[in-house]
Amino acid sequence: MTTYAAIQSSLSGDNSLPLRPESQVMDLERLGSFHQSRLSFMRTLVRRVFKERWKISPSVFDLDNDGFGTVVYKIEAANATFSFVIFSTYISDDERNDRVIATKWDLTMALVEGEVDHQYIEQLRLNVPKQEAGRVDSRVFVLSRANRSARNFNYVIDVLSQGNQPDIDKISKVGYLYRTTAVYGSGKLGMADWEKVHSKHKDFARPFAGEMFVCMMLRNFSLLQVEHIAKMRAPQSFTPLNYEIKRYIGIGNSTGLGMAPYLVNHPQLISRWVEMRELALARIRTLGAIDERILSQLLVLLDRCLAHTKETITEDEWQTINNHKVVNDLDNLIQFSRDNLESWNAIIAFSEQHCSLQGQEMLVSVMLELYPELVDELEDFHCCDEFLDLDPLMPASSLKHIIEQRYKWALAIDFNAKGAKETYWYRSEEKMEPRLGSVSDIEGKKKQMALGVGYAARKCYDQLGEYALANPAHTTARFLVAYPKVRGIVRRIQCMNKSTYGDIQANLLDQNVLPMHLLRCKLAFFGVSKFDPRSKLWVRNTMFQGAPLLEDIGNTFSDNWFMPLTPRL
Amino acid sequence: MNELKAALRRCFEASGYFVGNYEDAANMVLWLEKHGLNGLGELKNTLPFVGEDLHKSLSNVIYEDTTSATIDAHGRSALNCIASAVDLAHAKALESGIATVTVHNCHNRMFVLKALTDRGRSGISAAAYWQNGSDIVTEHAAAIKSGHRYPSYSEATIRSIDNNDDKQALTIICSSRVDLGLSLQNQDSTMISPAQVERNKNDCVENGIIIDDDVWHEINRIGAGVLVENTQRSRADAGGG
Repeated sequence: MTTYAAIQSSLSGDNSLPLRPESQVMDLERLGSFHQSRLSFMRTLVRRVFKERWKISPSVFDLDNDGFGTVVYKIEAANATFSFVIFSTYISDDERNDRVIATKWDLTMALVEGEVDHQYIEQLRLNVPKQEAGRVDSRVFVLSRANRSARNFNYVIDVLSQGNQPDIDKISKVGYLYRTTAVYGSGKLGMADWEKVHSKHKDFARPFAGEMFVCMMLRNFSLLQVEHIAKMRAPQSFTPLNYEIKRYIGIGNSTGLGMAPYLVNHPQLISRWVEMRELALARIRTLGAIDERILSQLLVLLDRCLAHTKETITEDEWQTINNHKVVNDLDNLIQFSRDNLESWNAIIAFSEQHCSLQGQEMLVSVMLELYPELVDELEDFHCCDEFLDLDPLMPASSLKHIIEQRYKWALAIDFNAKGAKETYWYRSEEKMEPRLGSVSDIEGKKKQMALGVGYAARKCYDQLGEYALANPAHTTARFLVAYPKVRGIVRRIQCMNKSTYGDIQANLLDQNVLPMHLLRCKLAFFGVSKFDPRSKLWVRNTMFQGAPLLEDIGNTFSDNWFMPLTPRL
Repeated sequence: MNELKAALRRCFEASGYFVGNYEDAANMVLWLEKHGLNGLGELKNTLPFVGEDLHKSLSNVIYEDTTSATIDAHGRSALNCIASAVDLAHAKALESGIATVTVHNCHNRMFVLKALTDRGRSGISAAAYWQNGSDIVTEHAAAIKSGHRYPSYSEATIRSIDNNDDKQALTIICSSRVDLGLSLQNQDSTMISPAQVERNKNDCVENGIIIDDDVWHEINRIGAGVLVENTQRSRADAGGG
């Protein structure tokens, strides 16, 4: 078991491990090339649930023959008991909308501390189906909703009720029965704050653990529900879903721009997640012995990634090209591994010379998969205190020096170039949905969100240069009394200077910015797969595909559901 | 609480507070409320004037030496300027051991408590003293010890005072060497101990905050100033789907 001090000494100082440099890792396109790994939050959650053998079963099962009604799961985790409450409601096809602006959903759900009685369920029923328009209390700590897959939901019920199994190729094209369109936590809509969850509910005291758990439960409920409806429809002919197909059914997810500001507004947390991933890689490069067993596993996993990527279906041309490159990269990596693999540094160097960014990052995820003993303990260090505290005594000249060192990438951007400040981010009055506009909309520009970190660093640097020259002895505190407008960016620069990886390196105001990279980065940390961009602003993906099922808890556990493949039946 | 913090940030952002200041302001209100010190009540009195700072001069240092400074806040709310003043006291204390910063013409000084508390976490002891009111005058003191997480706060009613120079003034003391345990001499003062402040916080974290509907609507009404009108074009800016 490692410690925070040991991790710190691995990140910096005389005994630090050879981490990839921040200029390489924090480049936005590379962050947007990350894939799921064994440190992803879905993986760490499933490991916890299965290793601790949580007891999860329905305590209320009140669905009609069409699957509408209420289900409550009682969850006996290692430290406490929780309830997962689901309301299944009829909506017409034309009411079904994945956007955040929707007002009706097939399913709405809440994760609640403790057990729930009838009165509390009724209280939830008045509010949970309304989502943003409702209010819950601080017993609730995750709220979510989901819509049925138009392509799969009724189809699976039809075939099961007829005593058949669904066509696996059809399931492979859309690997889920429901898509979740929003998962809310952390104090929204009256729910408990992260501070409470983190301090009181140890079972969910990792980033997004509660949110991931809700998606995992949704996936299991979806399987339960289709079997229930099919059985009610034709009890005589009904057959249960094949276990392998069940494992392959995940949960769909639509993620839009709402996720992008999170990454910019939580720089310390994102930096911490990157640190753990990079530290795992550095441990493997330094400590990971390569023997026949490891080589054999590597080839199996690279083959699996190859097949997984080939099975990924997207209509998006950009992603299709990327996937083709990854397939090619994996072919090359397999060949290199068979012929030349002497050290991890060698294959990393090979990938950096010959593979696309997505191919390079696929290799990193595979390497992490090979050494659970070097990687898994880092899952306990994904939290951090998010205090953007000012260092008031820092001389203004030192602050200037830090910008020159850590924000070199921002100073290298020509913000006067055409298009460099063309994009602005704003919140719509419609559910405060984040959106991306053009500066030609003058009124909208006045209300833009402060996400242009690079540009803010540049402006701060320019003001600081003049000030430090005129007042060489002044502190940062004194500078900020004179220039209060830069208080936010100064605080950020000072704090991020203490982190290993610092800020995301990109001009988010550029006309060619691809928010998709931000979305994909966060989703990779969550652990999703099958990225299917629907525009540069939102992406469909699949969660928990291949994960073990609730019914598997208590049986032998294999944490081997990385890059799941279509089952061959 | 996160939701309240986000709403407060929008409210202060829409009122013209700078990046950095609107986060500070939201945190100051939330901190008081979360620790049982009536942050939303204080805010309710502040909201009718929250946009006025936009038309006032920025704070400026009118006197300064190695251990002290005097700042004129030009009638700004503490929400919009006091964090910088506490930072300056902090920096001077680190240089000189102990420092005093006096801020004149500053409203809503109760909000200084969050900034003081942050000093404790940073290893600096900090204290503040101010008076409030004209007919009925109250005096207030808050202090936190180095390395501590919760401050003490005391309040007392005193007789009317004639010294107009002190109106809307706030004195901040920071020290890197002395633990400041400021309390009012007034025997009728009420004091809230650090332990009570901590209990208030724990209770709030467990049970959440109940917000007066009028205040909540007003925070959101003002905050709507940062939201862009919903149009067909704007909907397309979200990527369709």
